[in-house]
Amino acid sequence: MHGLPQAEPTNATIRPGAAARRSPGWRISRRVRIGLASLIGTFALWWLLTDITGVIGPHRFPAPAEFWAAFVQIAIDGYAGGTLITQAWYSTRLVIMGFLVAIATGVPLGLLMGVSHRAEALLNPAFLLVRPIPPLAWIPLAIVWLGLGDAAKILVIWFAAFVPSVINTWTGVRGVDRTLIAAARVHGAGELRLLWEVIIPGSLPMMFTGLRLSLQASWTTLVAAELVGAFFGLGRVLDAAYRDINPPMIAVAMLAVGVLGALTTRLVAVAERRLIPWRS
Amino acid sequence: MKDIRFDNVTKSFPTRSGTPFVAIRDVSLAVAEREFVAVVGPSGSGKTTLMRMAAGLDHPSEGSVRVGGREVTAPGPDRAVVFQQFALFPWKTVRENIAFGLRCKGVPRARQDEIVAHYLKLMSMEGTEDRFPHQLSGGMQQRVAIARSYAIEPDVLLMDEPFGALDAQTRTVMQEELVRLTRKEPRTVLFITHAVDEAVYLADRVVVLARDPGRLREIIDIRPTREAEDWDSRPIDQVMDLASFTHLRTQVWRLLRDQIRPDD
Repeated sequence: MHGLPQAEPTNATIRPGAAARRSPGWRISRRVRIGLASLIGTFALWWLLTDITGVIGPHRFPAPAEFWAAFVQIAIDGYAGGTLITQAWYSTRLVIMGFLVAIATGVPLGLLMGVSHRAEALLNPAFLLVRPIPPLAWIPLAIVWLGLGDAAKILVIWFAAFVPSVINTWTGVRGVDRTLIAAARVHGAGELRLLWEVIIPGSLPMMFTGLRLSLQASWTTLVAAELVGAFFGLGRVLDAAYRDINPPMIAVAMLAVGVLGALTTRLVAVAERRLIPWRS
Repeated sequence: MKDIRFDNVTKSFPTRSGTPFVAIRDVSLAVAEREFVAVVGPSGSGKTTLMRMAAGLDHPSEGSVRVGGREVTAPGPDRAVVFQQFALFPWKTVRENIAFGLRCKGVPRARQDEIVAHYLKLMSMEGTEDRFPHQLSGGMQQRVAIARSYAIEPDVLLMDEPFGALDAQTRTVMQEELVRLTRKEPRTVLFITHAVDEAVYLADRVVVLARDPGRLREIIDIRPTREAEDWDSRPIDQVMDLASFTHLRTQVWRLLRDQIRPDD
């Protein structure tokens, strides 16, 4: 709480200026204000450590001005074969495609393993064997199979994002309230209706946890795969900037990945709120 | 309308130690068409197991459970269940919850709306049809669950401690409403409870179970007294003050009391 008294409607007539300042249209929510303060604080600290005091030298991490110059360079002239927009779009497109392939296969498999003990008995051993292999370990094989193009990237993302989708959907199905399933059956629901109207909505919250993890895994593996070998993309920018010993450009590429990761996660959150309206 | 018959029903569950746990031993019980039977018993007397077998959610190890003369093998809409935890679908509105069984039966949309409106009115819940369950009080949620079961016009209504999760006041209101509902639209009811008052107030007959293993102890006839003194047209608090009510309640209570151990 801030120390200012809240303006009551009666006060508005006495102090019209205060009332105008507190009108709901103008008012920024507390969260946004704290968020802005945090961003400004980080920026100030960055500036303080680089330009002002020189604690961090320009060869280690760029000062705001160098960062801005690198940003302008890649945004307008381009770097490592494309402008920021084309490189970012290239990576985002691959993440979205890999992510969609992963959830389009992972969610149905998770449902199947959750619903059918036979499917679980059949698939779980293979799953337990493949699961501990870090997704990044698939990159060499993917490149050997499919080269440096899009197909290898999508394959690697699929390996990484598939597992959290399966596991969380499966856990979600197993966690559906048994009484709700009994209630559906005693009111005459068949298997298909049970799946569609009870089991799937009941496991949606866990499913979305899986989707968020899958999306994170998609970005992680894509950037890693692009670092290992790619023609375009933000990982390729990182790799080129590393070879050129260009810390400002490395920082720009990192920040771009961060922003895109946050934005795509936001999209999943929006979809979650749309699809789970009963959890207000 | 259908009756329920348990014939020499035994139900045991396998345990890790190898000796099966006997939940119900050799219970025979008949609930006639349109009769309201309440089952009371200490915990461990197999009340809920009895209900689950009538619903088709569990199956007897020995003996048979028949509804309308047919062996119960699986859950079916002729035997609707009202659960203690309400078991409403959180992602469905009140209207969608009540209409659930009707949609399963393939009732046309217009007829569904009529039936839903009928029960909303009967349960005095008009105006809540577009709310989600979490926006309702416990009493309201259980009304929706009862409406959902009633809507499919089941031959048999199975109620597993339906008011057990409600506070005392709401509970009393719901008991009164259930009496109103079941006298207006009678069903064959098997009502599980551990509350003696509730059993005596609601039922035509009260079945008292003994425990370890669960078995039949005694059946007490309430209906003659209730009809002679016209309980149904009196408020619940008045009924519970009547000498006849107190007498019956004490009778049931004594049968239960000598089974209750200090550790309960």
